[in-house]
Amino acid sequence: MNAMNTVTPAPRIAEVKGLKVHFQSKQGRVHAVDGVDFDIRDGEMLGLVGETGCGKSVTGRCFLDLVPQPPADIAGGRVLFRPRGGKACPDCSGKGCETCGGTGAETLDLLNIPAKKMRQIRGEKIAMIFQDPGKALNPTLTIGAQLSEVFLQHKSHELLEAAGVGEGDRGWVAGSLRRQANQREGSFDRWARRFPPLKGPSRRLQKALDEKVAAALAETQIPNPRRVMTSYPHELSGGMRQRVMIAQSLACDPDLIIADEPTTALDVTIQARILDLIKMLQAKRRTSVLYISHDLSLVRKVCDRVAVMYAGRIAEVGTVSQVFTDPRHPYTQGLLNAVPRAGTRRGHLASIPGTVPELVDPPPACRFVDRCPKAMAQCRGADPQLLPVTEGHDVACFLEHPREDTAPETPRLETA
Amino acid sequence: MQLRDYIIRRLIILPFLVFGVSVVVFTLTRIGGSPIGVYLSHEMSAAEVQQLEERFHLNEPLYVQYFYWARGALQGDFGYSGVASAPVSQVFWPKLAATLELSVVSAAVAVMLGLWLGVFAGVRRNRWQDHVTRVVAVSGASLPLFWFGIVLLIIFWANLGWFPVGRSDADIWASMPHPTGLYMLDSILAGSWRGFVDAVWHLILPAITLGFGAVAIITRMMRSALVEELQQEYVDAARAKGLPERLVLNRHARRNALVPTVTVIGLTIAFLMQGAIAAEIIFRWPGLGRWMASAVVRGDQATIMTYVLFTSVLFLFANLVVDIIYAKLDPRVRLGD
Repeated sequence: MNAMNTVTPAPRIAEVKGLKVHFQSKQGRVHAVDGVDFDIRDGEMLGLVGETGCGKSVTGRCFLDLVPQPPADIAGGRVLFRPRGGKACPDCSGKGCETCGGTGAETLDLLNIPAKKMRQIRGEKIAMIFQDPGKALNPTLTIGAQLSEVFLQHKSHELLEAAGVGEGDRGWVAGSLRRQANQREGSFDRWARRFPPLKGPSRRLQKALDEKVAAALAETQIPNPRRVMTSYPHELSGGMRQRVMIAQSLACDPDLIIADEPTTALDVTIQARILDLIKMLQAKRRTSVLYISHDLSLVRKVCDRVAVMYAGRIAEVGTVSQVFTDPRHPYTQGLLNAVPRAGTRRGHLASIPGTVPELVDPPPACRFVDRCPKAMAQCRGADPQLLPVTEGHDVACFLEHPREDTAPETPRLETA
Repeated sequence: MQLRDYIIRRLIILPFLVFGVSVVVFTLTRIGGSPIGVYLSHEMSAAEVQQLEERFHLNEPLYVQYFYWARGALQGDFGYSGVASAPVSQVFWPKLAATLELSVVSAAVAVMLGLWLGVFAGVRRNRWQDHVTRVVAVSGASLPLFWFGIVLLIIFWANLGWFPVGRSDADIWASMPHPTGLYMLDSILAGSWRGFVDAVWHLILPAITLGFGAVAIITRMMRSALVEELQQEYVDAARAKGLPERLVLNRHARRNALVPTVTVIGLTIAFLMQGAIAAEIIFRWPGLGRWMASAVVRGDQATIMTYVLFTSVLFLFANLVVDIIYAKLDPRVRLGD
């Protein structure tokens, strides 16, 4: 990085600013994500926790433009991404300007880039691990074929090199090999591949591809990768499938991985191993990870920082120790109390009263106000802003940051 | 189970199935009465009728009659068709060729057009293209074939005179040999461009009539299957790899949407065989369907039995082909379990 700022501990690889994703439904506009701000630092694992339906998955999918529009509508905000080892910001040539947020590094707004550029980022710069590997793998293609796609999509020049096709090579053989590497081959190419002069180089290309796939599988500690390559997803166990999924997402050594509840669909015994694997590979490659989960104890174990999300908003952000030892937002406090500990007596599981509010055209107010044990009058009528309480620890709550327009001493609301 | 073993096993079972079908068909047809009617005329005396009955073993018990029929069938003798005034085995191929030409052309066009339209509509779900396709598909599936055929006939033959009825122009047909019985193929073999154009010209209206319903069924199935596949997570996963939409659709979603559609395509074979009867009657197409229809009306039992036997074998093969394609498309399908 050209203009490494000495104040920030690590440069931010991604920043989400005021992200709003609304869904049009028959009842009205559902504000599923309504002004979310957080950043992901280089090489860190950020946990994004929240209840089901709080918008955490949608937020994660925004990084890869995987939110279907319609029904969704990205109503505002930016998702900024700075590829590692990236070029200098084209606007200021590395001096630091508004586009790059003063970092001088190339900064892309993932919500606002051409589809072609997005396709180059997908799988190569930002990859995704899906919740249920049984559903995220195509049941009718072999594991090898599915992993090959990533390499063919992003590393075709390396494969062509292995086949001995140079940049300037012309002629039908080079053209056919290029079609093979770029996944544009026709049936004639596939037929002609069985005979010389195409046979040799085509085989070398396939061999280089298979080696890459096998290496990627081996890295996730899959035994006998060559055999797994020829299997179909239904022939593998859940844990094995998730290893394949991880291998697939790590294939091109991405800068950022969006892990959307990667262990939720797995047996508890497998969960820990998959988690260790992700943690190990992340530490080895210094990849940044956005770890989306509803499991607090899991996030505490693996993440560096955590963002707590509630009803489409970030309630609290901070390092794991800040948030877990000194939770400031009543929602976070409630969540942490709800985690059963070894000392919890039988039948005494704590919960937060009430249910998540309907997000159809919500009024300006703290989303948690109806369930909050510490709700005040000023909690209604305005949205609390996410503001720092200590260095690196931000909370969106009027308890910490009273509204300036209302009197600080207001009688407490009666809550049921 | 290996695909090859499965095919062999099914082929071994096939004769037994055909035997079962033939017993049922024979019994049911004979319940309708004696087939002697085809051979009778008003001038015959009672003695002559009895002589006829004895000659065709119609005075014997039913199972003996079946035995005689089966022995003949195995030797290629399926009896005498009163409707065609010739042995069934002699008329069968030319009639079948006419029906084949009609149904193969309409099936091929229906499958290609149906799959294409289904993908076209499924990808553009809930856009106007999808709605237009749906209207066409719903009308195709709900218009009675005989009515649609007659409307086409009234407009394009009676009023506009753009298309002929029948299978061929008599002079052109007579001007060339017919080694295969398939008019289009014969005209190509004879090197007659006029003949080929004539064949296609005669084929268009009945093929549209017959194919419209099949297109509708395939389109609807393909569309809904594709819409469902496109909502699967592996489609998003494919996009997340950076694949262009072309590959997401062709390699992932469309291929998997074909799996349920293939079953429906197999069923349209039945639809076409049924439909061919009406289409052939309307357009005076000299095929199996029209022959069959007159045979039923006139109690021509030899023809009916041969027709039913043939269709059942056709179905058994169609199912086998569907199973094989099914297994090829979806590795989770385990044949023979």
